[in-house]
Amino acid sequence: MSRRLARAAKGAVFPEDNDSAFLLDVHRRAVPTEAMPHYRDDDEVDLVIVGAGAGGSVLAQRLARAGWRIVILESGPFWDPDRDWVSDEAGQHKIYWTAPRVIGGEDPVELGKNNSGHGVGGSMVHFAGYTPRFHPSDFETYTRDGVGADWPLSYADLKPHYEKVERELPVAGQDWPWGDPHSYPHAAHPLSGASELGREGARKAGIEMRVGPVAIPNGTFGNRPHCIYRGFCLQGCKVNAKASPLITHLPDAIAHGVEVRADSHAARVEVAGDRVTGVTYLRDGVERFQRGAAVAVCGYSIETPRLLLLSATEGWEDGLGNRHDQLGRYLMVQGASQVAARFPQPLRQWKAPPPEISSEQFYETDLARGFARGFSIQTVGPLPIAWAEHVLADGHWGRGLREYMRDYNHWTTLGLLCELLPQARNRVTLADEHDSHGLPVARFDYTQCDNDRANIAYGTKVLETVWEAAEAQDTLTIDRYAHLVGGARMGFRPEESVCDRDQRVWGLANLFVCDGSVMPTEGSANPALTIMALASRLGERLGKRLVTASAEPAGAASYTS
Amino acid sequence: MARSFREAGHLPKQSADGEPRPPEELPRQRAGLTPQMHGRYPDYDVLAQADHWDPVTRELLESRAREVPPVTVFTAAEEACLRPFLDVVLAQDAEPRIPVFEMVDKKFAQGKLDGYRYEDMPEDPETWRRVAAMLDRVARERGAPSFAALDDEARDAVVDAFSEGELESEDLNVSRAWSVVMRGALSEFYSHPWAFNEIGFGGPAYPRGYMRMHQGPQGREPWERPEAFEEDPVIDVPRRGLK
Repeated sequence: MSRRLARAAKGAVFPEDNDSAFLLDVHRRAVPTEAMPHYRDDDEVDLVIVGAGAGGSVLAQRLARAGWRIVILESGPFWDPDRDWVSDEAGQHKIYWTAPRVIGGEDPVELGKNNSGHGVGGSMVHFAGYTPRFHPSDFETYTRDGVGADWPLSYADLKPHYEKVERELPVAGQDWPWGDPHSYPHAAHPLSGASELGREGARKAGIEMRVGPVAIPNGTFGNRPHCIYRGFCLQGCKVNAKASPLITHLPDAIAHGVEVRADSHAARVEVAGDRVTGVTYLRDGVERFQRGAAVAVCGYSIETPRLLLLSATEGWEDGLGNRHDQLGRYLMVQGASQVAARFPQPLRQWKAPPPEISSEQFYETDLARGFARGFSIQTVGPLPIAWAEHVLADGHWGRGLREYMRDYNHWTTLGLLCELLPQARNRVTLADEHDSHGLPVARFDYTQCDNDRANIAYGTKVLETVWEAAEAQDTLTIDRYAHLVGGARMGFRPEESVCDRDQRVWGLANLFVCDGSVMPTEGSANPALTIMALASRLGERLGKRLVTASAEPAGAASYTS
Repeated sequence: MARSFREAGHLPKQSADGEPRPPEELPRQRAGLTPQMHGRYPDYDVLAQADHWDPVTRELLESRAREVPPVTVFTAAEEACLRPFLDVVLAQDAEPRIPVFEMVDKKFAQGKLDGYRYEDMPEDPETWRRVAAMLDRVARERGAPSFAALDDEARDAVVDAFSEGELESEDLNVSRAWSVVMRGALSEFYSHPWAFNEIGFGGPAYPRGYMRMHQGPQGREPWERPEAFEEDPVIDVPRRGLK
């Protein structure tokens, strides 16, 4: 479609091969499951998927359309937003992965509500909603900048899938000038007063910010209602306006024969020779085994390595795909420090979706800054508990903290997404303690490198410059992390990665990893869209038999792209 | 007290002495409740909007506002220490108080976790216990029988040292312990509708949503109330000799 036509059609284009938005009910928020099939455990389905998040759901939808019979095992519940979710910050604790995990290293990364989802829809149920693409440079940071790693595929491989997923979510935003310049299927949302100040301050500081890209339709979309600007994106969207695979891909997947088996916790992927045979899982305290001709592990950067480690067996003594001690390594998070600013007039930063405007002006390497790679700037809209954590992090308690809290409505907040580099020492291992299923829990060790610290420090200075230009009266700063990426990365050789460019685990012809853990670098972009685009690409290649789950040696499949 | 909140001199980092303005100078709450009954929005009661919330949310918020959960996890000795500690760190120096101690106890009674534990820290309930023991021990070192027996100034000094990571403990990483207990306490305090009233937060917004997102008074929904920038007349009128 030409750019002019695309602009004329903004808001009116629906995906051709995903009816999810129309399969939802107009009068209730729950995904209709009346027609969902139920497969027997001993029925060998074409694919068993572990995890109903961004990767697993998109993969299931693509392959269901190609006629595959699929079971998705999901550890958490199948949410009914009307019944299960509340419009309350504390009351939505249930949508986070809160089972025990251990964190260590010199810069431990807090998990739970910060980056780990639970239940059908996965972490995208609580993701803010930003859906930027990666830049072409992200796929070759080693070649270009001498840091990180090159991907075994390029931006061109993902571009058609970025476009496809952007239409499915759909994404709203201004024309995007950074990376590979592109437009969005929906026009940008109106800007809140609080975000106007950030955009104006940035302009005065010589920084361009644009509205979006946000995975919330501007208007209705099929049977999904208009956003009501209530600001609870990180608590799960009770409206069905903000995209998550729960509403963007699973309705269509179910209509094409996918069974989403909730409350089913995968315990082990079973192996026979150089093939996997299915997944052992726990449901209602009973151990069961679902047979499958292929398995895709889609549990994200902590649970995917954990499951592959827990699946250790004869021939794979250190875990599946871990013959070269690569599993669980190169796990990344993004530096996500935030600086809030105070203004004379009330702003009520909790109204409107937290994701509103962003800048990728500092995304690429500029050696004059003294470090490689860069960062993005984005608005955030902390609700009261998150605001209290922000005030606490700036060093306040007692009466001082209560005063800053009472001043809540006068503040607005910008955050960073700093690209932190992949390092072998940042990894998931199994801890000595066990979860409620009796399985060893994950331990995640994380330590920044000098480049990471320089990036975060520089980015924080830029935010302070923006607020100075905006003539803020006071600022408050919190250092934190966001997102998880890597842990089972794809690569060119088994000695330096866990899976190949088709996300197939080295040495196991029918075992795939399809989530954020396969990504070799993280960019300064929120990972959701790229996880979905990777799943869309893998789904297309499996569906068209460009890659097969047959017994041929891994990596020998013919490539067309 | 400033006559308007357009200036920022009431904030600790902007005031001459590094202290916030005394909250007693704020207007008394006239609609609904706030912790200690002072606030910036004296005519705003978020619970008056409950009819506009979806039923699941309404039930949760109304019960949270009503409920003082029974104490089942912490011992009487721990309670004797943690209650005054929470009063200090949350500046709850008078009734009505948000029952944060009971709310934290209830969270642990229900076995709710946050999804991570630092490798050098125990489970969260044990961290709280060790914090209580540490505070009492520090108080004894400073010549009082317990933390609860310290006067206000001495309590502030102990808490200040705790917040700076300057207390010593054999079984706790003190900086991380401060973060664990403070974030636990703040998560309960700022989930309470009385706190929403105090800070002027719109609270649950489903299914109604918001229609006004502008800066200044234009950004106020019809059911929201303005900030009260005037002083409490009960204090202000006699001080200015008007009566």
